[in-house]
Order: sequence, then structure tokens, then C-alpha cells
Amino acid sequence: MATTSATITINSDITSSPLRISKTMLLKKFTSTDGIEETTGLRSKKFNATAAVEIISNTEGTADKASKVYIRNTGSSSVEFFYVALNNSAAASDSTETIGKLYGGDWMLIPWIATASTSHDICVAPSTTDEMTLEYMVFQE
Amino acid sequence: MATTTATVNISSTDLQPGNALGISASTTLYQTGTTTGLELVDYGVGKLTQASAADALAEALGTADTSNYVYICNTSTDKDQYMVIGIHDTVVGNLGSEEWLFMPWNMGDSDAEINIEAETSGSITYEYAIFKSTYTLPAKT
Repeated sequence: MATTSATITINSDITSSPLRISKTMLLKKFTSTDGIEETTGLRSKKFNATAAVEIISNTEGTADKASKVYIRNTGSSSVEFFYVALNNSAAASDSTETIGKLYGGDWMLIPWIATASTSHDICVAPSTTDEMTLEYMVFQE
Repeated sequence: MATTTATVNISSTDLQPGNALGISASTTLYQTGTTTGLELVDYGVGKLTQASAADALAEALGTADTSNYVYICNTSTDKDQYMVIGIHDTVVGNLGSEEWLFMPWNMGDSDAEINIEAETSGSITYEYAIFKSTYTLPAKT
């Protein structure tokens, strides 16, 4: 059994009383205390077109098992971004389903159900033809 | 201008034998397409019961296709209690006990609410924080 931990720290002065979140989790198998044992490893890919591209196929996970997906836009632009979506046409709005936008430096870590359907492929669409790079990694049972 | 930073550290010494994992990333949360920090937040603690169907944690009431970020933590310590996290009709993944997620949310359209559901029994306490570009309250009934 492997032990993988992820710690998030959020600091903010939006509120008059500073907001601080700090939480560590162990990446575990579904309804288990055992750690996740498989990973794709950390991938890095450059993009230079705005077309939507599948970066993680639902076949890389197992439906109803615990999977986690980490994605990071390695750039520094506050203007250019990647749409990240659970569909094949990542765009501003899509009913099945655009998650959000990762600007330069932004990262995300989400659970992923990896349902055996193309509706759960993870796709991205860059906002520009200028070169941008994503790092991403899947943790799975 | 407020400053909000979100940092993640992912580590494992045994997930990838012979190749210790160490990911560290930090981002500052900006308003859409700018270098002006987000200034709106909604955070708190809630409780879900298994008998409930999915409930909307946050409606997509602000300006569509903007920069927003969502943190959710399932604080249950019962390994059998997990939360189903979705956007509108699409399930993103299962958030196990003591696990958290952090993701962007662009509120791509008015149906793109964040919804949560408790499984499999009892009640689950969760914590959340949603950092927003715009903040529109639900209409009075």
C-alpha cells in the first residue's frame, strides 16, 4: 500500500479577519483506508492551438473507484488560460460539463469518477495559439 | 485589493518506487483576466444527510464564464461516508472522508451550479470556500 498525501493551504485577506485553510489528505481507495497505488506519473504537454483536446481518457480510470486528477497551467499569464471540461468540446459553456478556467499558475486537484463514458474524458481548450503548457497527473486505484 | 493564494503540496515516497513524488504549486487567485485579486468569498460549514438528493452548494448566479475557485472538504472520519460532487447533471467525482478538492469554476451558464450529495449513511459535515469574481444573491421568493 502506497502513502500519498496532499496538503492545501489557502491564505486570504478578503475578509476583515484573515482566512486561512490548511488541510492534509491521504489519497485513499474508494471507501477504504488503504492508499491509492497507481498513477500515470506526471505528464507535461505543450499546446499551440485553441481546439479542444482530450488529455485524460475515461479508460485511464475505473468507474466508481477513487481517482484523483491534478492539473496545472505552468504559465504565468493572467489573461490566457485553459478551459477544463468533462466533455469533448471544452468551451465557455457546455452542458456536459465545463468545469472552469486555469490561468497561468493555476492548479486544481479533484476527485474523478472516471465513468466509462466519453462524458467523463477530461478535455482542455487553450484560449490562445500562443504556446502554453499543462502538467497533469492521475492517481487511481 | 485583496490577496488570496492557494498552495498545494503532493508527496509520496512509495507511490512510484525509486522516484519519490514531490509536487508543489502555488497560485494567486485573480479576477477574470486581470492581476487584481478576487475580493468576494462565500465560506462556511454545512451538514448533508444521506436521505437527501443532491443539493446545490452554489448556484451559478454571477456573471457567466468568470474566474471562481471552489474548495470543499468532507470532514467525516467514517471511511464509508463520501460526497458526490457534481456540476449540474454531471458528476465530477466522489470525495471520500477527510478528503478535499480545489478547482476552478467558470459558471459557464446559469445551469452550472455546484451540487453535493451525501453517501452512504448518516450525516456528513463539510467545509467549503468559494472565491468569486461576482456574487449575486438568490432572488427573494
